[in-house]
Amino acid sequence: MRRPYAKYLRAASAMAAGLALGMFATILALNTGYGFSRLRAGPWTAWPAVGDGSADPYARAAVARSGEAPLGRDQGLVFVATEDSSGAPLDGACEYRVVDRTPAARFWTLSVATLGGALIDNPTGRYGFSSAEVLRREGGGFQIEIARNARAGNWLSPGGARRFSLVLRLYDTPLDVDASADPNAFPTIVKLTCA
Amino acid sequence: MRLTLRDRFFDFLPWAAATLFIAGIVHIVSVLLMPLVAPHDAYARVLAAVGDAPENRFVTLPPVAPGSTPLPSEDPASAEAVCVYDLSQGLLRVTAAADGEDYLALSFHARAGHVFHAITDRAAIKGKIDVVIGDERQMDALQSASDDAPAQEVRLTAPTKRGFVLVRSLAKRPSDRARARERVSSVTCERFDPPKD
Repeated sequence: MRRPYAKYLRAASAMAAGLALGMFATILALNTGYGFSRLRAGPWTAWPAVGDGSADPYARAAVARSGEAPLGRDQGLVFVATEDSSGAPLDGACEYRVVDRTPAARFWTLSVATLGGALIDNPTGRYGFSSAEVLRREGGGFQIEIARNARAGNWLSPGGARRFSLVLRLYDTPLDVDASADPNAFPTIVKLTCA
Repeated sequence: MRLTLRDRFFDFLPWAAATLFIAGIVHIVSVLLMPLVAPHDAYARVLAAVGDAPENRFVTLPPVAPGSTPLPSEDPASAEAVCVYDLSQGLLRVTAAADGEDYLALSFHARAGHVFHAITDRAAIKGKIDVVIGDERQMDALQSASDDAPAQEVRLTAPTKRGFVLVRSLAKRPSDRARARERVSSVTCERFDPPKD
């Protein structure tokens, strides 16, 4: 280390490493979610702050990167599940049953999407159910089957996707986003069989 | 002279600290800069979807479908229209009629896509939603020109001159789609000049 340029070399490598590390931290932070406002309820996750005027910098950065126009906080809440109720990732080759209990809301819709939130092409042309059209049992309960092959009753197809997510949108919901949500008020996602 | 492990450690420490310091700065700066530089943010997507249509007018977006949706992560049951505005040409007035039964939501987005104000038809007064948007200077002028705003008028100060207003309505059943589209296309968005003083 007597060579005169050794220190410059070290400084340059420290800067390069710092740049790479900082960028890596940013990508990691933006990929894991939308800032600090995570609200979890069983397998469902929402980010209430994204629809807020005072969203934190991480939420703003994540929204700008994904290019979505989030729902305002007073308009509704979007819950996404990428795992079933036992914690296993949702797999397109498996069949699932989503069983009722939804938080209070004026309307809700439940749809199947890719992990990025885009709709998945499937032969039925149906991507979700709304609270008004879902077929209900006596007493108001419902269940939605998610399977590649046709089912009687409420059926959604994940198409050819290997992994997918379920999106529960609650419109005009009185749900308190500052308190922790009660998982029992949310639908359960039960894996039935796998192909 | 032989370097012991200890010497090596203290020789290495300042460089490690410098690396972490730079990483921290890069991280903070890149997160703060992201809304300004993200190439495919909601505003860019909306502009592409609107195409050549003039500003300050609502354009109904195509139905949410796989592969062809201008905005990602939208509800397949929703019908949407968007009005891109530029406040440097004047104030903007958004009016909508609410029937009290069907969901109608207006969200006001700043340039990078984040929401600065959002209302639903629940906030309508006498079946009407009437919102005026302007920048700080325009709102001051408006305020001093007419202290008593009409009761149902909501006045909003926009954080950026450019942005967009997004209207969403829900089709409760697939057969409601046409009605939902009609509902969002009946919302108007018009430019008007600030009062002279």
